[in-house]
Formats: sequence, C-alpha cells, structure tokens
Amino acid sequence: MTATSATPATNPAKGSSFNSDRQQLMLGAVLILGTGLLPSLLGNAYWEHTFHLVNVYIAVSILQNFLFIDAGQKSFGQGAILGLGAYGFAIAFGLHGWGFLLATLVGVLAASVGGLLFALPALRVQGFHLGFVTMSAAIVFPQLLTQMSGLTRGINGISVSLPDLAAKPFLGLSWLTLLLTLVPIAALVLHYIIRNSRLGRRMRIAAESPEAARSLGIMPGGMRALAFVIASALTGLLGVLYVPAVGFISPQGFLLDLSFIFFFAVVVGGRGQLLGPIIGVWIIFILPSVLLVQLVEYKPLVYGILTLAAVLVFPDGIVGSFEAARRKRTQKGGGEGGFRLAAVNSALASLTPVPASTSTEPVVRVRGVTKRFGEVTAIEGIDLDVMPGEIHGLVGANGSGKTSLLNVLSGFTPASEGRYWLKGRDVTRRSAAQIGGMGIGRTFQNPRVFPFFSVWNNIRVGLDARRTPLDPQMQALADGFARTMAEDSPALLSHGQRRLLEVVRVLMKDSDLVLFDEPAAGLSPQEREDFGVLVRHLSRRLGKAVILVEHDLDLVWGIADRITVLETGRVVASGTPADLARDPAVQHLFVGGDHA
Amino acid sequence: MLAEIAVILIRGIAIGALFSVVAMSFNIVHNASGIFNFAQGNIFILGGFGAYLLANGAGLGVWIPALILVACLVGALTAFQGWITLLPLRTSTEQDSWLISTVSVSVILAAGLLLIYGPFAYTVSGPLPGYRIFGVRTPGAFFLAIVAMFAWYFALRWFLNRTLTGLAISALSQDMEAARAAGIPVRKLQLLAFGISGMIAGSVGFAVAPIITVSPDAGLRYVLSGFIAAVVGGIGNNTGTLIGGPLVGVVSMLTAYKIGGAYQDLALLLVLAVILMFWPQGLFGRAAARRV
Repeated sequence: MTATSATPATNPAKGSSFNSDRQQLMLGAVLILGTGLLPSLLGNAYWEHTFHLVNVYIAVSILQNFLFIDAGQKSFGQGAILGLGAYGFAIAFGLHGWGFLLATLVGVLAASVGGLLFALPALRVQGFHLGFVTMSAAIVFPQLLTQMSGLTRGINGISVSLPDLAAKPFLGLSWLTLLLTLVPIAALVLHYIIRNSRLGRRMRIAAESPEAARSLGIMPGGMRALAFVIASALTGLLGVLYVPAVGFISPQGFLLDLSFIFFFAVVVGGRGQLLGPIIGVWIIFILPSVLLVQLVEYKPLVYGILTLAAVLVFPDGIVGSFEAARRKRTQKGGGEGGFRLAAVNSALASLTPVPASTSTEPVVRVRGVTKRFGEVTAIEGIDLDVMPGEIHGLVGANGSGKTSLLNVLSGFTPASEGRYWLKGRDVTRRSAAQIGGMGIGRTFQNPRVFPFFSVWNNIRVGLDARRTPLDPQMQALADGFARTMAEDSPALLSHGQRRLLEVVRVLMKDSDLVLFDEPAAGLSPQEREDFGVLVRHLSRRLGKAVILVEHDLDLVWGIADRITVLETGRVVASGTPADLARDPAVQHLFVGGDHA
Repeated sequence: MLAEIAVILIRGIAIGALFSVVAMSFNIVHNASGIFNFAQGNIFILGGFGAYLLANGAGLGVWIPALILVACLVGALTAFQGWITLLPLRTSTEQDSWLISTVSVSVILAAGLLLIYGPFAYTVSGPLPGYRIFGVRTPGAFFLAIVAMFAWYFALRWFLNRTLTGLAISALSQDMEAARAAGIPVRKLQLLAFGISGMIAGSVGFAVAPIITVSPDAGLRYVLSGFIAAVVGGIGNNTGTLIGGPLVGVVSMLTAYKIGGAYQDLALLLVLAVILMFWPQGLFGRAAARRV
C-alpha cells in the first residue's frame, strides 16, 4: 500500500489511466457495428437473422450490466421485461392494428411498468432476495402469457410482419438492420454517459454504500426505482425490435433461460465493464450457436458450464481480468504525494473568513434525546446546543453513546424519545437522506472511499450533493483536484489519506454542520496536526459548526470551543476546554486507557 | 365440501412439508456460509431421479438401502458443489460470485438431466400403500413427507445444539470472523454443511418421489417454493420453516383447486412479494433480510 510507484500527483495524466471506459466504449461501438452490419453487407440471410438476435441480446445485456453494477440491482428477470415490450407491441400492432409508433410506445410502457414492479420489492430487500423475486416473476411471466390467451393468443403466439422495416434504403441494409445496430450502440453510449454523470455517480454510491449515500442526501430507494425504469424502458424498446427480428412471438420464447442468458453474458464478459456484455454475448450465445448448430439441446448446458468456468477462472470476467491487469500496471496516485491536507489547508487559509455569526439560533438543538435498542439504552436524555462556527468536542469511553448520538442526529436511527432541530427546523422524524440534503455532512468510522471511483470522483460526489453554487475560491481548489487527481487510484492511499479524502468530500458538500466520527484514528502525527488546522478553517473561515467525536483528547482540547462528556449514555459535563480540564468528573478520562 | 377442505389441507401440508425440508437444507448452508444455494431444487429432484433409477416399485428391502445410498451420493455431490462455490470466495473480493456459480450449477444440472432423460416427467411408485381419506385415495408418500420434515427437523436440532461439530456450525452463523479467530476450521465445516444439505434434499427427494414431478425442469419449482418457505419462516430459522413450508403448501394447493394449477406460481410469487414488502424478516424471523 505504500509508496512503491510514487508518481507525483502533479504529473500531467497521459490519456485516461484510471479506467479504460472510453476505450471500451469505442471498441464496443465498433464491435456492435460489425455484428450489426457485416452479415447484411455479406448478404447472408441466415447470419443476418441470427445477428439481429445477437444485437438485441447485446443491448439487453448492456442494460443488465448497468442495472447490476451501476445500480447494484440483481435482477434475474430481464427476459420477462423484454417479453413485456415485445408483447405490448405485438398486441397493439399485430392484433389491434395500432400505428407503429403508438404500438412501440405501448411496448415501452408495458416494460417500464414491469420495471417498476421489480423496483417495488427492491425498495425493501436486496441481494439474493431480489434475485429470487425477479426469478419467480420470470418463471410466472410465460405462464401468464399462456393463460391470458384472450389478450395474448396463448400458446398460439402472435405473428407480426413489418414489410416497411424490411425495406432496404441503401447498401442492402434494411431499416431493421440499421435500427438493431444503432439502438444497441445508443444503449452503450447511454451507459457511458450515465456512468460519468452526477446521476450515475450517485446511483453507484447508493448501490455500494446506502449509509454514505443517505449522508449525501441521496435516497437509495429512489435511485433503484429510477435504474429499474431506465433499464426496463430501453429493454422494452428492444423487445419491440425483437418482434420484427423474429417475426413471431410465443410464451415459449420468454422462458427463464432467456433472463439467464443476459445475466450470464454480463458475468462472463466482466461485471461493470462497458465492453463486458458484448464479449459475454459473443461467448455465451454466438459460440454455441456457431459450434452447436446441429445440437441445439446442448446450448443451456454449454452456457451454464461457460459461466461456471468464468467464475472460477476469471472471477472478474474476460474483459474485467484484462482491465484488472492493465490497472495494476498503470495505476498511480499513491505515496506521500498522493493526497495531502496541507494543500487544502493553504487554500483555505487564503479564504476571507465569513463574519462571525451574531445569530443566537443554534445550528443544532437537541432536547431530551433518548435512544434504546431493545432493552439497552444507548443514550438517555441528551441536551446539546451547537452554535454556528462552533467546534464541539464529544468525548467519552467506548460505548458511552457518542456514535449513537451521531447516528440519531444524521437520521440513521430514529430517536426513541426527545426532539432535535436543525437551523430551527424540527427534523426528529426526517429521514437520513432528507437530513443529509439539509446541511449535515458526516464522515464514518470506516471511511467510505469507493475503489471504482478515481480520487477526484471520490471528492466530486461531495460537490454532486451541493444545492448551492460553490464559492469561487473553493471552486478553484476543486478544479485543482480535478486537474491532478482525475486519474489517481484510491487503492494506493494509506488509511490516513483515505480518512482525509472523506473529510475533503464533506468539505465540498454544502453543510452548516459537520459530524466527524473519530477522524483522527489511524492518522500520523503530522496528519493529525493538519486535520486540526482544517477543522479550525472549517469553523473560522467557512463558518461551519463541527461536532467532533474523538478519542485523541489532546486534539479535542486543542481545537474545541466547547466539549461535552458522555458517560453510559448521559451527559456528565459540558463546557469550555479550560473549565472541563479542572472538572473532577472528567479527570478520570485523562488517566484512563482512552488517553491517546 | 368438508372432504375437499380436508384433502386440500392434507395435501397442502404434505407438499408444504417438502418445501420446509428444502428450506431447512437452504438454512444450514446459509447459516454456515451466508450462501444461498440456487441449485438446491435440482439437488432435491436428483433424489427423485435416484428413486426412479434404483427403487422404482421396489420393496422396503431394496428401498431403504437405496435411500441411504442416494442420500450419501447426493450429499457428496453437493459437498463437491460447495467446494467449487467456495473456491473463488477465497481470492475474489466480489462476494456475489456464489450467486452466479450456484445459479449456473442449477442450469447445468437441469440441462444435464434434460439431455439424459428428455423433457418427461417420470412416475415412481414407492413401497408404502395409499390410504383412503374422506373417500379420496392419498398416496402413502404424502404422510412420509410430513414424517420426513419432522425427522430432519429434530435430527438437525439435535446435531446443531448437542454435538460439538453442530455447535461449531451454529457459531459460524453468529460470527464467522470470530469463529475463524477461535481456530474453528471454517472451510471444512462449510463443506460439511453443504454435504448435509445435499443429504437432506436428496433423501427426501428420494422418499417422496411418487408425489413430486420427477422431471428435469421441476427443480425450479422446489427452489422457489423452498425459498418462499424459508422467507416466511425467517431465513436461517428451522422452526419457522415448520410453519412456513405448510403455509406455502396450503396456499399452493388452494390455488390449484380453486383457481387452477397454472396460477400456482403466480400465487406463490404474490405471497413472496407481500411477505418481503411487509415482513422482510419473515413471520418468525431472526436474521436481517433488509440491507438498506
């Protein structure tokens, strides 16, 4: 973890090196162009038909990849969503004679509704629970198609002919071929764009660390629902195109196996890699189709075995393994120069201080807050006021309720009794995401640093959470990070640097109150000193109130304006550092094992 | 009317007992490793195929040794699957690789059975006679299913609470890191848990072959119903499955009799969705299903 390849962070990045998303995007588009257009250009009708199907599968797998990794939702039911799109279109167009565009809209809407239905359980459960729910939906879907024969013609299926799409405007390429080339490319480009947008970053955080997400004002449930709807609406569009590609649809075409193909393609190709689903479909679908043309019944066995082999041999998938090797070779940004607070501090030191607040309204006012976990009372009857710009230390032995209080304040666990106000507004019953959006920023005991983001993007998610524009001087600081750390890998940062990274993220977020949960643990003496200076700047230059939970009593006594001492969940003393140092109730803290 | 209710109840509870057994076989692996084996339904069906191959129409003299043989073979196979599943967990940071590998094993098993035996459902006749209940002939295997549920329940209870090995497996479900630090051979116990889960599913699949669909694609129904039974009872909680399984079985039978067999899966999906939406920890749960 230490400085082996200490490339100075100020080195101009040559190309993108943190990840190869851009290169994968280009290559992926070229490959889709190839599978889309080549068979038609070569004039082979059989392969043209097969590769129409391949491109549908590629596009659905791209969306599955987005849903699975960028939004963290394990859905085994995307085949049913494709079927909803196909049936919605075929029923409206083929059976009721609606116009093409209107019928397309029906298909997309049907699939979106299906996506919303999937999102509903996802609000409550995750992981394999969601996998089972979506899997049972995928099993029930063809059964329902068969049963609702009045609507769907049951097992007889629906034939649709679309001569307009078969027309060949130029070079022997039909409209269908063109659509089935462009839509998958569009899906890939969209994946790239979303991933590199504010929305995409926030979605990924919601997937990886719901607590961190909520502290940044993100509602994880909303993100999941949105991801399901985006992926499903587009999968529905592909379902619409699937109909002319095969000419005939029946319940047998949308069995569970179809959903598995999409899921397996993502895994074999490389979870989260833009190029992954394309390579995955090639291996899972094209390989057996070409090699086992005569032996259709072996296909499920082959793709099952291929997937199992991929998990064992290439746990990151084919593309993922290449990417992991490339990253190992080229990653940079570690070492002592990797991430230093000193630069941040010198930038902050040049800020004009905000005028000292004359407000008598505390930023946070806590009255009688009690938190019980079953029989255990974690905190009891806590009263606390923190004024704007005040640095408030919260000390006490392990288990005295410091973190419990922070968790109640940031809305992670509801208070059992009592109320508290943020800037005069009662937020006792507000959710963590609402409170996170209202101007509380916090760090965690285990820093939430995301390995799939570059160092800059890890900071940037703080900016993403802002609702007000950044101060010009702070903006300059942020621009500096963007220039120097956009390609740096957080994997090379030391533990102390990771803590500081999280602190700088909170600095970028607009917050009137910052909660630090043991920020100095694992910091070197120099880093502690820098951190103390930073907290001073937060308070004096930026006017933020700070609540500091910390075992390093020297640090707390050195920088805090006021200190509250907790013991077994109760406030035993509160006052200025000087007063408390003489308070007999606090003396034992200094001789106990807690004194760092 | 009364007869119909009695039949629905008896058959529902008996079928539900099978779901409960599958749920218990889920639980032991889940408690020992956090893994949920998606192939468990196919493993259950393997037991049924074992009965078809070795003991179709045989008397008790053949049936009992064959039962033991099949239970051990399926147990060994499941332990092997467990070994494969646990391999990448040692190196990969991606903890959901087990999800993918167990799903792919379930696809491989179903596809393999399909290649060998074709898409047909095989009928197996067991050693027990049928009984007439309210004028309806009820195969003996229905009663065997309920007996099997209680037999495995009490056997597991004894094993997990009274033997040193069982207690060590229970310790894994409490805190795997602490267990590892205490010198418990985690990997071996996890493989044992896989083996036991295979023995549970394989033996009961064998014993009740006359009343289950012995066909390559039937595994899915049992993995889903077993999962729902586990969720209703609270994942990891074997006592809960004693209620969860029969509940799911009765809902399933009721749907089949009153609405139509084609809607059974839909009814179960709705049960699953409602339970997860309102009681994500199950009706008698202890483990946290919700991870938000």
